[in-house]
Amino acid sequence: MSYAYLFKYIIIGDTGVGKSCLLLQFTDKRFQPVHDLTIGVEFGARMITIDGKQIKLQIWDTAGQEAFRSITRSYYRGAAGALLVYDITRRDTFNHLTTWLEDARQHSNSNMVIMLIGNKSDLESRREVKKEEGEAFAREHGLVFMETSAKTAANVEEAFINTAKEIYEKIQEGVFDINNEANGIKIGPQHSTSGGASGAGGAGAAGAAGGGCC
Amino acid sequence: MFRSRSWFGGGWGRPKNPHSLERLKYLHNILCKNTTVSESNRGTLVESLRCIAEILIWGDQNDSSVFDFFLEKNMLSYFLRIMRQKCGGSSYVCVQLLQTLNILFENIRNETSLYYLLSNNHVNSIIVHKFDFSDEEVMAYYISFLKTLSLKLNNHTIHFFYNEHTKDFPLYTEAIKFFNHTESMVRIAVRTLTLNVYRVQDASMLRFIRDRTAAPYFSNLVWFIGKHILELDACVRNDADHQSQQKLDDLVAEHLDHLHYINDILCLNIPDLNDVLTEHLLHKLLVPLYIYSLTSDSTRRHATSSPYNRDHIQSIEVITRNLEAILKGKNTEVSPGRINFPRRMESEEETKPSVSCVVSLFLLSQVFLIITHGPIVHALAWIILQSDLSVFEDGATKILEMYISNAKSNVKLEFSKPQLSLEKALESTSGHERDYTTPEYSGPKVFGYDTDHSSCDLDPELVSTSLPSTSQISESSSIAHDSTEDLVTQIHSMKSSELTSPKENMPDSPLPDSGIESGSSKTCSELNNITDEEKQKLLGATPTTTRERSLTLDSILERENKEIEKRPFLKTILDSLDCSENDYKALFALCLLFALINNKGVNTELLDTLLCPEPEIIGAMSSTANIETEATSNESSEQTPPTPAVRCSMQSFNILLISKLMTIANLSCKPASKVRLVTLELSVTLMRIAMQGASGVAGGRHLSAADTLRSRAAALARNFYKCDDIFLDMFEDEYCEMSKRPLNVEWLCMDAAILLPPTRTPMSGIAFAKRLPSGEMERARRAIRTFFLIRDLYLKLTGKPETQLPLTNPAPFVQVGDVLDLNDSDLISCDIIQKDGTWHHRFLAVDNIQIILVEPDKQRLGWGIAKLVGSLQDLEIQGDKEDPRCLHLTIHKPRVGASGALPRTVLLRAKFKFDDHIRSMAAKQRLTKGRTKSRQKKMQQIGRLLEVSGVSAPTMAPRHRPLFSRPGLTAVRRSTGSDGDDTDRRLRRPSAHMLKDGIVVYRERTTSRERILPWSTQSDNISRKVLAVMDSLRSSVSRNSSTHGSRDSSPRSRPEDIPLEDIRKSTGMAGNDSATPVTQPSQPSTSTQLPKQSNSSEETSFISADAPRPKRKGLVETI
Repeated sequence: MSYAYLFKYIIIGDTGVGKSCLLLQFTDKRFQPVHDLTIGVEFGARMITIDGKQIKLQIWDTAGQEAFRSITRSYYRGAAGALLVYDITRRDTFNHLTTWLEDARQHSNSNMVIMLIGNKSDLESRREVKKEEGEAFAREHGLVFMETSAKTAANVEEAFINTAKEIYEKIQEGVFDINNEANGIKIGPQHSTSGGASGAGGAGAAGAAGGGCC
Repeated sequence: MFRSRSWFGGGWGRPKNPHSLERLKYLHNILCKNTTVSESNRGTLVESLRCIAEILIWGDQNDSSVFDFFLEKNMLSYFLRIMRQKCGGSSYVCVQLLQTLNILFENIRNETSLYYLLSNNHVNSIIVHKFDFSDEEVMAYYISFLKTLSLKLNNHTIHFFYNEHTKDFPLYTEAIKFFNHTESMVRIAVRTLTLNVYRVQDASMLRFIRDRTAAPYFSNLVWFIGKHILELDACVRNDADHQSQQKLDDLVAEHLDHLHYINDILCLNIPDLNDVLTEHLLHKLLVPLYIYSLTSDSTRRHATSSPYNRDHIQSIEVITRNLEAILKGKNTEVSPGRINFPRRMESEEETKPSVSCVVSLFLLSQVFLIITHGPIVHALAWIILQSDLSVFEDGATKILEMYISNAKSNVKLEFSKPQLSLEKALESTSGHERDYTTPEYSGPKVFGYDTDHSSCDLDPELVSTSLPSTSQISESSSIAHDSTEDLVTQIHSMKSSELTSPKENMPDSPLPDSGIESGSSKTCSELNNITDEEKQKLLGATPTTTRERSLTLDSILERENKEIEKRPFLKTILDSLDCSENDYKALFALCLLFALINNKGVNTELLDTLLCPEPEIIGAMSSTANIETEATSNESSEQTPPTPAVRCSMQSFNILLISKLMTIANLSCKPASKVRLVTLELSVTLMRIAMQGASGVAGGRHLSAADTLRSRAAALARNFYKCDDIFLDMFEDEYCEMSKRPLNVEWLCMDAAILLPPTRTPMSGIAFAKRLPSGEMERARRAIRTFFLIRDLYLKLTGKPETQLPLTNPAPFVQVGDVLDLNDSDLISCDIIQKDGTWHHRFLAVDNIQIILVEPDKQRLGWGIAKLVGSLQDLEIQGDKEDPRCLHLTIHKPRVGASGALPRTVLLRAKFKFDDHIRSMAAKQRLTKGRTKSRQKKMQQIGRLLEVSGVSAPTMAPRHRPLFSRPGLTAVRRSTGSDGDDTDRRLRRPSAHMLKDGIVVYRERTTSRERILPWSTQSDNISRKVLAVMDSLRSSVSRNSSTHGSRDSSPRSRPEDIPLEDIRKSTGMAGNDSATPVTQPSQPSTSTQLPKQSNSSEETSFISADAPRPKRKGLVETI
C-alpha cells in the first residue's frame, strides 16, 4: 500500500510509563488489552488517513538506549513527532518531564511536534498527577496534551493521530522541508506496484483481520 | 464481532479462551497444516503468528506450560520454514513474523524461557536470513528485531549469539552491514546494537570483534564520516547566500552524531577496541583530512612537490574511491591490490581531498569538544601544536628523500621488532589474514575484506600488524612506534616534526601509556637506548633545529612569529585569528583553541605551548630590550638538547597568541568593527586563560593592557550614551541577556549557521551575537555588550569583585509579603480595579525605585504588608480621560540581575481610583517623578561606568535609598519615602548628598577603588576640603532638621496636604527634614530606627539594607 507521507515518531519518557504498550496498542489493535497481560513493542508502523491522504506512521521507542548520548541525540533529530509520556500514578515521572523536554528541544528539529501524554488514565484510584497539572504543563510549554490508557485504549488513537494532524498542518504551511528526510518526514513512493500486500504492516492486517481472533 | 467470519468456519473446535495452552495447540495445528504459504492462507498464518506472540507472553507471565509446549514442538522452526519460502506476499508474512519475534523477545521476563528460545540456534538462522531489505517495512522490523536482541545481551546470553568455536557472531556482523543505510533510524539502530554488543564484557567476543571486524567496520565508519564532511564542505563552499542552511544544519548535526557515537564507544573503555578505533580515526580521518586541511595552500603545494607526498597524502582519496566502489558496485571479487595500486598511480595528478580551512577548524573544534579519549586528543593536540615543517623551509629535500627511502624499511624494522617479543601477535596476524580470505565467511567478512585491504593501501604490512600489535603488546613504546610510523607515512608534515621537535618536547612525555603520542613516546624509546634508524634520524635533525633557533632570536614576538612559520598547523590557526577583513575564520580558530585548552584528554604540559610564557620572557617583556632576552633564550636553547628537564625550553607561543587576541579585542572597540560579539566573547575568555597562564595570575603587563582595553570599550559605548529611555533599557537588557546566557562553546559549535560567512541582517534568523549589528540600535547594543565583556575581563584579571553591575541590586528591595513600618509615610489610599472586575483596596507608597501597594497590618498599627512591588523605572502611567480621580498604571516586575527576563513581566495592569482628583494628581506626580528619578540615577550610574565626563563626580552618584524596613532585623527601617524627598533632594543635590552619604562614600571610594573612577585621585584633596565644609554644614542642618522631623513625624499632622505641599512646593523644609535626620547615625531626634536607615538609605543598590551598618558600609561602598 502506498502512502503520501511517512512520519517518524519517537516515544520518550521515564521507564515504566507504558510507552511500548501505547505503541503496540496503536499500531496493532488486534492485541486487545487484557487485564492480565502486558505487551509492548519497540517499533511499530501503521497507516492512517488525514485529509483523504494515506499517511504512514513509524514509531520508534527509544527505551533502553538512554545510556548513550549519541543514540538519543540521533533519535530526536530523526523524528517529526514525539510523544512525551508520563504515568499519572507516579509523580516522579511527571517531575522528570522538564528534563525530557529540554533534551528534546535541544536535540530535535525545531519543528518537531511534541505531544504530552498522561498515561494509565484507567488507574484513577491511584492517580497522583491531576489532569489540570498536565494541562498546565502542556500550556506552559506549548504542547498538546491528552490523557490516555494503553489498557483501555482510551485516547490512544487520538494521541497519535492528532500529532500526525499537526505535523500534516505544518507541512501544508510549508514549515517542514519535506524533501529533507532528516526531519523525519518522507514522501511516499510515487508508484507502488507491489500491490496492497507489501508494506501494509500491522495496520493493513488489522483492517483485514479485525477482531477475528476472538 | 467478526467471530462468525473465522477462516476455518469455526469447525476446528477453536478454544474460546485466547490465552490458553489449548489455544496454542490449536495454532500449532494451523502451522502444521499450512507449511506452504500461499495467497489463500496468508491471512490465517499472519493471524496465527500474531496470536502465538500474544499467548506466549501471556504464558510467560501466567502459565509455564504454554512455553514448554512451544519449545517442545520446536515452533520456531516453523517460523524459519515460512520465512524461507519465496512465494508471493511473503514480506507480508515476514513482517508479522518479525513483529512476533520482536514481541516475544521484548516481553519475555522469565530468563529460562529466554534461554530456551535462544538455545537451538534458530534465532541466529533468522538473523542471517536474507529478507527483502528493499522493503522499507521489512527492513524496519528486522533492524528493530536485532536491536531488541542486542538489548538482551549479557554475559550469559552472549554465548547464544557468539559462537566461540566457529568464530561466528551473526547478530553483530549482520547488523553492521547496515551501518550506512540510507534510513537514519536504521543507522541509529545499528549504532545502538554495536554499543550494546561492546558493553558486554566478554573477552572472547571482544577479541573476535577486534580481530575480525574492528578494522573493517571502523575503517568504513571513518570513511563514511570523511565522505560526509566532504559533502559538508561542498555545502559550505557553495552557499554564500545562506540558501541551504537547513541542509547544512543536518550535515553538522550528523557529524556531531558521528563524533558522539565514537565517543560513546571510546567511553566504554575497551582498550583493544579503542586502540583500533583510535588508529583508524587518526590515520585515516583526523590527520589526513581534518588536520591536513589546516595547512595553507602554499604550504601544501610546496609539500606536495615531494614524491613522498603525492604518493601518500592522497591515499585518503584512493581509499575513499575504493570504498565507494566497493559499497556501490559490490565487485568484491576484484583483489584490493588491483584496485588500489593502479588507481594510485592514476590519481597522482589529482588533488587530494581536503576541506576548507574554515570547515576544518570547525570540525576540529567539535572533535575537541566531544572526544576526550586521551590518545586521540592528545595526539591531535600534539600534531597541531608541535608539528613542524622546518625541513621543508630549509629546502632540505634530501633529508626528506632520505627519510622517505628509509620510511619503508623503517616500518619494517618497527614491524619486525615486536616479532621477537610477540610471537603470539604474529600468530594472530596470520590467523587474522587467513580469516579474511576464507571464502565461506560471507557477508560482513567480504565487506570487511575489501575495506580492510583498501585501508591498508598505504602500508599493507603495517595495518595488518597494527591490530595484533596494538592489542597484544603491552609495551607502550612499540605501539607508539607503530602508530607514529603510520602517522608519518600518512602525512609528511608529521614526519618533519618527528624529526625536529622531540628535542623540544622531550621533557613532557607524561603519557607513556597513550598509544599515539608520537613525539614523546618516541623520546621514550630514544631514551631507552633503542637503536634504530629512526633514532639516527632524530639525532641527525637536531643540529638543524638548534641552528634555526639561535638564528631567529631577535625579540620574543619576532621569534615566536618566526617559530610559528615552522608549525604549519598552529600557524594556520593563529593566522586565522586575523579579523581585519572579517572574523569568519577567527571564530572557528577561537573555538578550536578553546576546545583544545579545555579538553580533559589533552595533557596540560602540552598546552604550555599556548598558555605558558617562557620564564625569561616574563622578565624580559616588561621592557622591549631584546638583548637580554636573546641571551637568556640562547642559553636555554643551548641547554635544551642534553637536558630534557628544562621544561620551558619548549617553544611557547603565548605572547603571540595574546597579541592576536588583543588585536581582536581592540578591533571590536572600533565603531565599524567586523568582529561579532561571539568572537569577542570567546577571545576575551581565551585571553583571560592565556594571560593567567598556569599560575592563574596575570602579570602587570597584561593588567595594564586590559585596562587600556576597558577604557576603549567604554569610549565606544559612550558614543551611544544618551539620556533617553531606550539607552537605559537597552543597557539593562543587554546585561540581563549576557548574564543569563553565558557563552557555551559546545552549543556554539552545534550551530551550522556560523559556518556561513558572517551576515548582518537579522532576517537571516541568526542570533544577534552571531552576526554583525544592523542599524544604529544594534550598534548600540553591540557597543554595550562589548563594554560588558571587556569590563568583565578586566575585573577577572585584576581579581576585583563586580560591584557596579547590575545597576539594581535586589538586596534592599521590598519583597511581597514584607511587613513594613509605615508610620509617618506618605500613603495614598486607592482602589485598584482590574480588567476582570476584581477590586482591591490598597495604600500606595513610593520608594526611590519601587512602587509598593500595601495592605494594613492588622496586628500592628501603622504597619503594612506589601502586596505588590514593582519598579518605578518601568512604570507606565496614564490619566483617565473621563474620571480625573483615576489613573491607569502598568506595573512591571523589577528588573533584577539576570532574572530580569525579556519580555518584561507585567505584574499588574489596572485602574487606580483615588479619593479625589487631588490625590490622583499627587499620586501621578509622585510616580512620574519617581520614575524619572530612578532612571536618572541609573543613567548616572552608567555614566560613571562609561566614564562619561561630568557624571563622574560621586555627588552625582545615583543612590538608592531604601525606605522600608523588613521586620525581624535588629532595627527596623523606617519609611521615609514621604514628603517628596525626591524633589527636595534634587533641588539640593550636592549638599544633600554630601550630607547624607557623600562623606562616607566619597572617602572610601577614593581609597578603595583604584582606577574605575579616574576622578577620585585627582579630586581627593578638593573633596576633603569639601567634606570639611559639609561636615559643619551637616551638623547645622541636621540639628535644624531634627526639629522639623519631629514635627513632621506625627503621622496625622498633615494628612490632607501631603501631595501639594510635597511636590508642588518641593517642600524644601519638609523634605529636608525627613531626609536629613536619617543620615545622622548619632541623631537623637527621631525614632530609634533612624540611625539604621541612615547608612543604608542613600547608598546605591549594592548595599544590603539588612547588613549591620558600621562594618558593612566600608565594604559595600567600595563599589
